[in-house]
Amino acid sequence: MANLLQKITGGLKAEKPIKLYGHGGGPNPWKVEVILRELGLPFDRQIMDFADLKKEPFESINPNGRVPAIEDPNTGMKLWESGAIIEYLLETYDSSNSLSYTSGAEKWEQKCWLHFQMSGQGPYFGQRAWFTLYHSEKNLTSCLDRYGNEIRRVISVIDAHLKSTGREYLVGDKCTYADLSFATWHWLLTSPPNIMGEGFAKEWEENYPLAWKWNERMQARAAVKEARDERTKVISGK
Amino acid sequence: MASDSDIHLYTAQTPNGIKISILLEELGLPYQTTKLEFSKSTQKEPWFLEINPNGRIPAITDKFTDGKPIRLFESGSIMQYLVARYDKDHKFSFPPGSREFLEMNNWLFFMNAGVGPMQGQANHFTRYAPEHIEYGVNRYQNETRRLYGVLDKHLADTKAEYLVGNKCTIADISHWGWVSAAGWAGVNLDDFPHLKKWEERMWARPALKKGANVPDPYKLKELLQDKEKMDRHAAEARNWVQQGMKEDAEKNAARSK
Repeated sequence: MANLLQKITGGLKAEKPIKLYGHGGGPNPWKVEVILRELGLPFDRQIMDFADLKKEPFESINPNGRVPAIEDPNTGMKLWESGAIIEYLLETYDSSNSLSYTSGAEKWEQKCWLHFQMSGQGPYFGQRAWFTLYHSEKNLTSCLDRYGNEIRRVISVIDAHLKSTGREYLVGDKCTYADLSFATWHWLLTSPPNIMGEGFAKEWEENYPLAWKWNERMQARAAVKEARDERTKVISGK
Repeated sequence: MASDSDIHLYTAQTPNGIKISILLEELGLPYQTTKLEFSKSTQKEPWFLEINPNGRIPAITDKFTDGKPIRLFESGSIMQYLVARYDKDHKFSFPPGSREFLEMNNWLFFMNAGVGPMQGQANHFTRYAPEHIEYGVNRYQNETRRLYGVLDKHLADTKAEYLVGNKCTIADISHWGWVSAAGWAGVNLDDFPHLKKWEERMWARPALKKGANVPDPYKLKELLQDKEKMDRHAAEARNWVQQGMKEDAEKNAARSK
């Protein structure tokens, strides 16, 4: 499947920095930043105030008024939705296939996991975060349990998959964008705000050991560490 | 082409399931169907977990270009696969890498990360939850309305009949099953006139109607007219939804012992 953009640009090299619209707390913009860093692409991060998301000029970039979104001056493209952005970055700039498989069944297997991340991991982790961080005063135990159980289920699906394949990553034998798309939401589980409680890291390691090691492997990557450090700086205002 | 493929769809009568049968009908592709029985937790049986490790519908298997079997799960990636492989004339998609292709992908992800999960939560709190939690009902109905507002405004601003490039693509097909089920989540489509017209435009497509009736007859439009039937239907679904939640919770707890 020849990619038109790559054909036009001849495996484009990003000369000008890609603008990344982000925010401190939420993991989705950082998901995109991890990929930008992994691919060694130049980028400028602009941290947005929530108040500016649902009005112009930002709404012309993302009609949904959410981050992340990107503007790429090298192609003139504007994109939103972290999953769509990641697919675009890979298809446009990963000419050496360092983070992806571009053919064969693996190409599609990756997409299945990316879609599972954005429809299965992100939304449920996000709901748990909402009920944990913003509604501690209300008695919404059943909501917390609902999303807590879903988080455990998502991790157990990964754990079972790694067990059945005997591999270290979700697809094939290397770390791909499909794996990395899960990494930034895990920050909320293993460090403040610890949306599953402080004991959860131990529970995860004991009950879902293969998924735990998989996450450790990803978190040790330079790009993931750097993005995490940047996020800490943004949140603390330094 | 038929001899090069061997598409088998694993599905149920849900907004996510019918996305795929609708696309297959629109593409005019032959396929076999297996219906999964949620009431019997068929989707959690080992043979199906081989096809989708997440234990959810829809999923497909096919004979891949290398002649070997391939499995796909998640409606979004299944749709991307089907158009990449079988929509060579770009009737329901655009050439990869083109501006319209990228825009179509934005909306496809918006559906699968936004509308689907949020409206799904609205369904849960409105129809299936064991106790009535007003806050949950309001939160997710409001978020569904906000997302519908984004779609409605987009259709109004672009004055287009479909979401991208003025033709029906996988971005539209992926939304239809959910938008047509707005009433089930307690959201009134009359509040979104452009989206409502879009829904009617989609429903007028013969292939969409055919695909919506897989694997069981599509009865949601009738159901939404009849409150008593709606309540009965919700009560039946509530049982297996809660049973599934209980099983998942027990499985998690068993790990911790």
